[in-house]
Amino acid sequence: MACTHDHSCEDHDCSSNWSLYKHIDLSKVTALNEANPGSVKSVFKAWEERLNSSGEHLESNEGDPELLVYIPFTSDVKIKSISVVGGADGTSPSKLRVFINRDGIDFSDAQSMQPVQEWDLVENLQGVLEYQTRYSKFQSVANITLHFPESFGGDTTQIHYIGFKGEATQLKRDVVATIVYEITPNPSDHKTRAETGGLSHVE
Amino acid sequence: MVLEATMICIDNSEWMRNGDYAPSRFQAQADAVNLICGAKTQSNPENTVGVLTMAGKGVRVLVTPTSDLGKILACMHGLEIGGEMNLAAGIQVAQLALKHRQNKKQQQRIIVFAGSPVTHEKKALEMIGKKLKKNSVALDIVNFGDDDEGKTEKLEALLAAVNNNDTSHIVHVPAGPNALSDVLISTPIFTGDGEGGSGFAASAATAAAGGVSGFEFGVDPNLDPELALALRVSMEEERARQEAAAKKAAEEASKQEKSAEEQDATMTERGNEGASEADNKKNEISDDDDTSLQQALAMSMDEPASSQDLQDIEMSDAAAEDPELALALQLSVQDSTKDSSSQADMNKLLADQSFVSSILASLPGVDPNDPSVKEVLASMQNQSESQQKPDEDKVPKKEEEK
Repeated sequence: MACTHDHSCEDHDCSSNWSLYKHIDLSKVTALNEANPGSVKSVFKAWEERLNSSGEHLESNEGDPELLVYIPFTSDVKIKSISVVGGADGTSPSKLRVFINRDGIDFSDAQSMQPVQEWDLVENLQGVLEYQTRYSKFQSVANITLHFPESFGGDTTQIHYIGFKGEATQLKRDVVATIVYEITPNPSDHKTRAETGGLSHVE
Repeated sequence: MVLEATMICIDNSEWMRNGDYAPSRFQAQADAVNLICGAKTQSNPENTVGVLTMAGKGVRVLVTPTSDLGKILACMHGLEIGGEMNLAAGIQVAQLALKHRQNKKQQQRIIVFAGSPVTHEKKALEMIGKKLKKNSVALDIVNFGDDDEGKTEKLEALLAAVNNNDTSHIVHVPAGPNALSDVLISTPIFTGDGEGGSGFAASAATAAAGGVSGFEFGVDPNLDPELALALRVSMEEERARQEAAAKKAAEEASKQEKSAEEQDATMTERGNEGASEADNKKNEISDDDDTSLQQALAMSMDEPASSQDLQDIEMSDAAAEDPELALALQLSVQDSTKDSSSQADMNKLLADQSFVSSILASLPGVDPNDPSVKEVLASMQNQSESQQKPDEDKVPKKEEEK
């Protein structure tokens, strides 16, 4: 099986490197402009299955090759590189722009915002190419949004496989949802031990 | 119980002064809006609804999506009628308002009331529809008023461009004696694609049909919303479990038919089972309407028995008009006081096709000649045939005692 590094694959299992798909929270993966709702979940699979196009794949709507894929992870991950297998006949995506740790991006946001990193893709039907990331920016990724703005001239964009190489930490990035800030302090909220009784000590 | 943020686009143009929908188009629209807000917030407490007007000086957002029903009802007061409706701008502003919703997990939906002529080109509307579909925003259109300048055609084209997997709907409401809200209750706009909201719709439908207390499960959602929600969730889980059990039973039946075949035929067996499973699933999707219809029937017949203290007066009024209904009510009331199975009697009543079709005819939005309804009746009759013999002994005894 072809690999990007120049040694034979019998020494180690390539697929273990591309195992970040196990840390994807599949139930919360969404895509915008997909022709079949829910088909986006089929592109996350093991490295060995990346060329297996017998199942579903992600396809954009007719006449509009733009795609936006939102991928949350179950824990924070560090992403070293990304691999994308597109479709034949010009339906492969030609560009990739990614955004990190942003919720609820839609097309107008994606088109106007500055991505964390962007790549010009080539047609990668065999799945042998990987696109390296600026690792320092991808150190604690809780969710990633992939924006594919155009294809290689096809009417639609097809994606058969998306793979992530990297490591998973056990941490979970917690977003503080509700904080109540005090404009003026309320002394009753800040009783010291001296007032409530018990031993007090100088700090 | 989908988590949804909804923007309602109200038409407050000059055409809404017309009285062809009683009392005026604008009032009918306001009532419908109130009902929709109530339904959305009841089906999921985290749902939010916002309102904007499309005519007047320009598109104006009255309320951004909020779950506070009082705010929404308050803003409907004191609205002025005038100007021309700007459908395209209204939808685009609604999309923008939804984009900035606080809870990004909510699905986006726009409900448009189109009561005056549409001046935009079909192409322009289709472009807007495509943009909505691309950003996965669903659109419901309520088409009322006159149909001039190809309005219906344009709105249908808009719906076709937006529709993604049947999440968007259009309803045409002709002028007539039926109030706009009553017509809308039975449509998918209210029932929310046939799941949680159907509870609200079913209770509203039975209230309209039988003059009975419209509260599902006998619990007032206003007094105890958490209890009502918990009861509804458990009923839906039970329904899902029953559907899964029914599907398994059907699968096993088809398996037993084929168990006599040879080993070589195992491959075709599996292929056939897969096909029958697919068929079952297809039937289930159309059966969802039937099961909710059955549930509505069951509830409307159970409720007179369970809440008889409050309902005695209302029952006698209704009974005076309809002798069949009187018989049914008496039977069901007697059943609740004795230990004999009210279920068996109900099945017998259900088996009486003429009785059932008369009940069905009084329910809004149900056509007794609909083939799927006839299927349900036929299947219910088959079910109750096995129980009819022991029932026939019980029922004549009761009739003597009366």
